[in-house]
Amino acid sequence: MSQVSFSSNEAVSLEKTVNNEQKPVETAIENIDSVYEIEKCTQWIKIHDFHKVCLQFPNYLLPDSSEVASRLEDKLGENVYILGDTAYESCCIDYIAAAHLNADAIIHFGPVCFSQTSASIPYLNIYEKHDLNVVKLKHAIEGLRNDKLIILVDTPYIHVLDSIEEAIKDQNVQIFRADKTESLPVKHKLVFVGDPGRKLMNIFLSFQPQKLYWFTNSLEEYVMDTVVLKKRNYLMEKIRDSRTIGIIIGTLGVKNYLNLIDRMKKVISASRKKYYIISVGRPTVAKLANFPELDVYLMITCAMSEIYDSRDFYQPIATPFDVEMALNHGSTDIKFSYDYNRYFEHCGRIEDKEGSRCEGDVSLLTNRIRGADGIEDSGGGVNGNNQIMLRSDGTLALNTSYGAGFLADRTWKGLEQNLGGTDVEKAAEGRSGLAQKYDSENR
Amino acid sequence: MVNFTVDEIRVMMDKKKNIRNMSVIAHVDHGKSTLTDSLVSKAGIIAGAKAGETRFTDTRKDEQERCITIKSTAISMFFELQDKDLVFITNPDQREKDEKGFLINLIDSPGHVDFSSEVTAALRVTDGALVVVDCVSGVCVQTETVLRQAIAERIKPILFMNKMDRALLELQLDAEELFQTFQRIVENVNVIIATYNDDAGPMGEVRVDPSKGSVGFGSGLHGWAFTLKQFAEMYADKFKIDVVKLMNRLWGENFFNPKTKKWSKQKDDDNKRSFCMYILDPIYKIFDSIMNYRKEEYEALLPKLGIILKHEDKDKDGKQLLKVVMRTWLPAGEALLQMIAIHLPSPVVAQKYRMEMLYEGPLDDEAAMGIKSCDPNAPLMMYVSKMVPTSDKGRFYAFGRVFSGKVATGMKARIMGPNYTPGKKEDLYEKAIQRTILMMGRYVEAIEDVPSGNICGLVGVDQFLVKTGTITTFKDAHNLKVMKFSVSPVVRVAVEPKNPADLPKLVEGLKRLTKSDPMVQCIIEESGEHIIAGAGELHLEICLKDLEEDHACIPIKKSDPVVSYRETVSDESDQMCLSKSPNKHNRLFMKAQPMPDGLAEDIDDGKVNPRDDFKVRARYLSEKYDYDLTEARKIWCFGPDGTGPNILVDCTKSNT
Repeated sequence: MSQVSFSSNEAVSLEKTVNNEQKPVETAIENIDSVYEIEKCTQWIKIHDFHKVCLQFPNYLLPDSSEVASRLEDKLGENVYILGDTAYESCCIDYIAAAHLNADAIIHFGPVCFSQTSASIPYLNIYEKHDLNVVKLKHAIEGLRNDKLIILVDTPYIHVLDSIEEAIKDQNVQIFRADKTESLPVKHKLVFVGDPGRKLMNIFLSFQPQKLYWFTNSLEEYVMDTVVLKKRNYLMEKIRDSRTIGIIIGTLGVKNYLNLIDRMKKVISASRKKYYIISVGRPTVAKLANFPELDVYLMITCAMSEIYDSRDFYQPIATPFDVEMALNHGSTDIKFSYDYNRYFEHCGRIEDKEGSRCEGDVSLLTNRIRGADGIEDSGGGVNGNNQIMLRSDGTLALNTSYGAGFLADRTWKGLEQNLGGTDVEKAAEGRSGLAQKYDSENR
Repeated sequence: MVNFTVDEIRVMMDKKKNIRNMSVIAHVDHGKSTLTDSLVSKAGIIAGAKAGETRFTDTRKDEQERCITIKSTAISMFFELQDKDLVFITNPDQREKDEKGFLINLIDSPGHVDFSSEVTAALRVTDGALVVVDCVSGVCVQTETVLRQAIAERIKPILFMNKMDRALLELQLDAEELFQTFQRIVENVNVIIATYNDDAGPMGEVRVDPSKGSVGFGSGLHGWAFTLKQFAEMYADKFKIDVVKLMNRLWGENFFNPKTKKWSKQKDDDNKRSFCMYILDPIYKIFDSIMNYRKEEYEALLPKLGIILKHEDKDKDGKQLLKVVMRTWLPAGEALLQMIAIHLPSPVVAQKYRMEMLYEGPLDDEAAMGIKSCDPNAPLMMYVSKMVPTSDKGRFYAFGRVFSGKVATGMKARIMGPNYTPGKKEDLYEKAIQRTILMMGRYVEAIEDVPSGNICGLVGVDQFLVKTGTITTFKDAHNLKVMKFSVSPVVRVAVEPKNPADLPKLVEGLKRLTKSDPMVQCIIEESGEHIIAGAGELHLEICLKDLEEDHACIPIKKSDPVVSYRETVSDESDQMCLSKSPNKHNRLFMKAQPMPDGLAEDIDDGKVNPRDDFKVRARYLSEKYDYDLTEARKIWCFGPDGTGPNILVDCTKSNT
């Protein structure tokens, strides 16, 4: 609707990725013990004397879950619980589901993200185990020959960490684990042992390496796709244009998520916009389509979430970074990252824009004027955005700038009544079933 | 200003019948700006010697350098008609009693097709158009386009045949050939006028006719021009014929036999076409004798024609002398200003028939009546047609025409953008007008207030309007109609700053650029690319240059231009398309079919539009285009932008 051009950019169509959910994995029975480190898990549970333990699996590992659970139960002599269908991202620890059970601890299987976590239930991560050709890695790194090289090993390869260390111990190389990056220095040359993807991009954005390589089978240099950064321009403009922003809760586990929501509320209010906080579990197109009055969705979620790339939603999905940059002049030197904890601490003071409304600002999306409300207050008119104002013809009306105004403008005529024009008929049984396929339909 | 002060202009502004708002329009390089200079020189703003060389209305450096007009520029001029000429004005609404002075607001517009949005904006605020045609190249594509636009806006045209000096000096056409050329051009122009204007319509007959004096001839570059009226006046005494009658005899199939002193409608052996004999022959003689340096000959000829040279000009020869002689004999300003004052309508006359084309609201409300009678005491109705950059970076003068009421410095007014709908608050601002100003080429003068029928600029309004809008004091006023451009922004480039840190400056620059040009679109695509869309490559080039040098002031990288194409529906879809709502509980079926011939044009012309009452619209569609009445009532939307010539119709029926 806001798009001025009639034709869409061809690049958009070409880049559009089809939803490629990972295929379910079924591990051979004899490998279960080693892949899922049943021994380590039992040890951990016993040492800490946990009694209610949840096992969290991402969807694609669920086929193995019952086998893992039964083996653990055998060893422990106690029930364990499987958490499937994680409400938000399966890379984050699902504290909420665990809290429903009043659980003592969570064992998380599969890939994890770097997001710092908020809650305090003890957890254990059991990673996947992928094969790595260590010799090849060694040769590849020798080719680089640099005194400041850092190797970052992603979680599926941590099980071969020892052999990597062994293989390259004579070289001037530091090795870090991807699950312990707190002390990882920034602006170095990095080799990431792991798949390219969102995680690699996050590393690039978070640690700003001089050069970033990735290795799974061969060494490749990572070049950041500028589309992601360019897209910020669009989203920021969209946010500036918007009147109502939906803060969508996409995590309950990432550190600072409540503080962030608080801050976002303040930033949005300070620029005289309205926000809705929407918590609908896992956000889907259908759920969010119920809020047509929103102009843009602000998604607060884990850095690994794929939702930021989705183009299916009715409104664009922005990150907290975009809101901060678009609306708060105090924060200009923060750097983009999908991981909001990266810049959360560095955001500037929130400036209230009441005094300095930028009037006459032209939107670069619609080429219309945005900003100030049109009518100058003529003595005690409107003093706040949510108050009642006096209309000149004497009737009271809600200030129509925001949600209420949107609803007031919404009209629905319904079917044409055509009163008196149609014959009266007896009620007859209509169709039944779901609109997807009514019972009377045979297709 | 030499001849008049702002106060004097202000006095003239109240004499609305003596105002002429006009634009100069033509194909590119037919000499509009140069011709305009000779008018400006007559009105006394720049020295006469420089006329034809200065391009007064080309206010930008690049316009001067390239000798091409890019932005339209307005100037006000004052001119007094002599008593003998006043008799030619017969309509009482064309002149205040006892007032000989005329205030002429002239807008010089670009001729290149890429800038035709500037022409549209100029036409909107004027009532008459001086159509300039290079008599060597004749009527060209853009001549037709601008003329068609003028007629559609109900702008009355007059014609000027320019570059006669070239026809004489370069092409060496003989008199009869030149007459034929002129006649062909007049015919071509009249064919175009006849195609787009209905003689029985509200504007009446607008054909141009040399014998009526609504066609001028001459050379803008050399600063001379005439209409048949000038020559008829010269010969009137000699022939003892009334000037008006003689004008008729001096054009077309009228031949004179000098021996028998008889007029004839046919060419004979010993008679000669009057136009060639009385008008072209003297001119040819002057050209011939001066350019061939036959001093005795022209020194004898000049007094006969009543040309008295100034002392300092007597030593000149060749082209320089020719210019002086022609300019003294047939001063361009005089002839043109007479044409303008006599043949172009005053706001009082023009607004009567233009109102219904201009106003969106009911044609009998206060605003409509105020426009129709050009009443300075009615509520203010002003249309802002474009934004003109000020010396203060990022700020603009809102340039437009007061159609009704008065706009004054400090007054509070409603500023309504193109998306304003009566009763709603969107695109509506109620603010004080900071200052009203008079705009004259490169100069700006503050003025206390401006009454209806005049063109002026406003300070401070630019914050609330992007490109155009309506300014009013009438609470229930509807918008003045948005302008329809003959071109659209189809050529696009992506831009980015050379230094990524300059991005905020680029964004700010793009916003300014959006305002400064009636046509350009600056948008951020979903991909985050900054796109500039213009009417053509030249337009884009100028926009990019402005962006780089004036608006953003940073070095810019740009992509190759891309032309976006539009698709059409040529046949009904052979299959029904299905889509589901997000919750999968609703299904939408859709197919496309071409609209009936003429409907798209009707939507473009506003005969069918989204704001119509749906029942009235449905009746129109069913009567004219055989639409099913029930379906025609259920037009969901128009597109693109909610107004375009595509419609989405809800054809669902209750299932029984």
